[in-house]
Amino acid sequence: MNGQVILLVEDNRDDEELTLRALAKSNITNRVVVVRDGVEALDWMFRRGMHAGRPETDVAQVLLLDLKLPKIDGLEVLRQIRANSATKLTPIVILTSSVEEQDIVRGYDFGANSYIRKPVDFTQFVDAVKQLGMYWLVLNQPVPR
Amino acid sequence: MTDRLRVALTEVSTAASAFSESTTDYDQLLAAITRSCARALKSTCSLSLFDDDEVMLTPVAGYDDDPKVLAALEVMLQKPRHYERSLVGQLSPASGNAFVPEVDLAVMRERLAPDALEFLEIANIRGFIAITMRVRGETLGVLTVLQHDRTRPPLDDFDHEIATHLANLAGFALSNARLFRRAQAELVGRQSAEQIATDLRASEALLDSVLENIPAMVFMKDAKELSFVRFNRAGEELLGVPRTQLIGKSDFDFFPRDEAEFFVAKDRETLRANEVVDIPEEPIRTAAGERWLHTRKVPITDEHGKPRYLLGISHDITRQKRDMELLEAARDVAEAANKELEAFSYSVAHDLRAPLRAIDGFSQALLEDCAEALGETGRDYCKRVRASAQRMAALIDDLLMLSRVTRTIARSQNVDLCELFRTSVATLQASEPGRTVETEATGMLMALGDPKLLAIMFDNLVGNAWKFTARSPSPKISLRMTKVNGECVYCISDNGVGFDMAYSHKLFGVFNRLHTDAEFPGTGVGLATVHRIVTRHGGRAWAEGEVGEGARFYFTLGDTKGR
Repeated sequence: MNGQVILLVEDNRDDEELTLRALAKSNITNRVVVVRDGVEALDWMFRRGMHAGRPETDVAQVLLLDLKLPKIDGLEVLRQIRANSATKLTPIVILTSSVEEQDIVRGYDFGANSYIRKPVDFTQFVDAVKQLGMYWLVLNQPVPR
Repeated sequence: MTDRLRVALTEVSTAASAFSESTTDYDQLLAAITRSCARALKSTCSLSLFDDDEVMLTPVAGYDDDPKVLAALEVMLQKPRHYERSLVGQLSPASGNAFVPEVDLAVMRERLAPDALEFLEIANIRGFIAITMRVRGETLGVLTVLQHDRTRPPLDDFDHEIATHLANLAGFALSNARLFRRAQAELVGRQSAEQIATDLRASEALLDSVLENIPAMVFMKDAKELSFVRFNRAGEELLGVPRTQLIGKSDFDFFPRDEAEFFVAKDRETLRANEVVDIPEEPIRTAAGERWLHTRKVPITDEHGKPRYLLGISHDITRQKRDMELLEAARDVAEAANKELEAFSYSVAHDLRAPLRAIDGFSQALLEDCAEALGETGRDYCKRVRASAQRMAALIDDLLMLSRVTRTIARSQNVDLCELFRTSVATLQASEPGRTVETEATGMLMALGDPKLLAIMFDNLVGNAWKFTARSPSPKISLRMTKVNGECVYCISDNGVGFDMAYSHKLFGVFNRLHTDAEFPGTGVGLATVHRIVTRHGGRAWAEGEVGEGARFYFTLGDTKGR
């Protein structure tokens, strides 16, 4: 159980803090790993570059992915994860500000499992995170390894 | 004077006057000749005339006082005969005058061809005189006198002399008549030639005035030298050169070498292919600077199909071209602006909301973590900060919606407006399950429009009605359609708080509100969005209402003409 982590891909420190706070308030106790751009996200997933030495036992149970990211954007991160046989089944939830139709369509097109818009109202945000955690960490049966 | 001579003289003078009277009527003259001759010599008379080649003789008239003989003669003398096979041609080719008072068939058999002999036999000819008519060096024909009446004395030298005189007279009369005919024909010909010339001048004048006044440059070049032979006024004005300076010159005298070479190459191409060549765009340097022409070059050939002239017709398309370029530039600018707007909207959607989330989220964190330290006033301030952040988020969302409405490419589909109405109501009902609102929109109300945009419009209009009936004792919202002058006018009405018509003009503007946020929350963007959606459908939107008496929002979807 210890190896099951939530990978939060978020470049905005405020959003990171608020997301962590929302997760805590939702009583989600899983370890959260925060990466701050697309390159780092892929490095972590593929255990390379700055995350080459991370324990093999750490597995992302769910990946919370922002779309607008420095270096490599969220959609490209999504595409590469889905293209790799070792990571292609990882549940990925897009957590973003955008409700542009094209972003939503492309997000699902690239294989996102879910698309959630971050509400401005923090109360609503906590609700969203709570439901998200409940679904992906408790209710959802992951692929057997 | 003997009686015979007197009779003969009378006949001859009668004939002479008859001939001269008949100068203008050729057919009558031919008849008069044979009749006079037959009567003077109491015999049958026939007249044959040469064709133009003076070889073939064609019978043209015959006469006998006895109609039976005349009929028989006409049958026998139908066919043209070669002169050399005629009686006179065979018997006296040199003198052209044959006189045989008594036909001796045995002698004739020696001297005549079988068909001529056969004629003498069958017609039972006793004697004959055949005289070739020669006048002014022209051989006109043969006058033949045939005697078959054996009860009368045979033809004698006197008869021969009279026949010769009559033939001479007839020859002159014929010659005169022919001259007259020829003169007349020439006269007619000259007249028609004059007519043709007049017609030609008239059509040339018409062509000239067309060419002169047509608002396109028209020119004609000689096919060989490619020098100008004709030039019209529009051409002079376009080039800024009078035609007197152009005629006889070539393109090389007026245009830079590369341009002239292009023109000449196109000219040669037109003439070689012998078909019309269309040059949609060609630049030309004129006294007034560079112009663009749309030119058509037409080969004009002579009757043998050889190129004779090159006709050119050029339209000055400089302005169209400039307008087109301006239009394209404007479109590029508009497209760029639209792209920029899209990028801007995207960035608004994404980047402006992030700080608002932080403001709201950390205010809430303060309220939760530092409630004691803040005190009551502090907590109130934190709540106000949060409310403002959320209101700004709502404003941003509505503005994004408004801009999306503008950017969306509208599609035209059949849409059931009642269905849209019910969907909007259902969404509102779900957000406020406690409210009871009576709604009226049954059945179907089909309209042509963009389903997504119309759904946004209904969310706004029904949402407004829902909001402003919040304090009504028995709220009611309905959708109706009426036809006004053939146009469908839709109306969403409610029995809510209504509004003062004095402000109705402000209803559809952005950020214009008739109520305070405390009375009824809102951003003031909704009706602006409605207005834009309706406008994009080619329709109109307006509202009626009264304070405390509800509101009616009308709209049309531009369905009047051919939709």
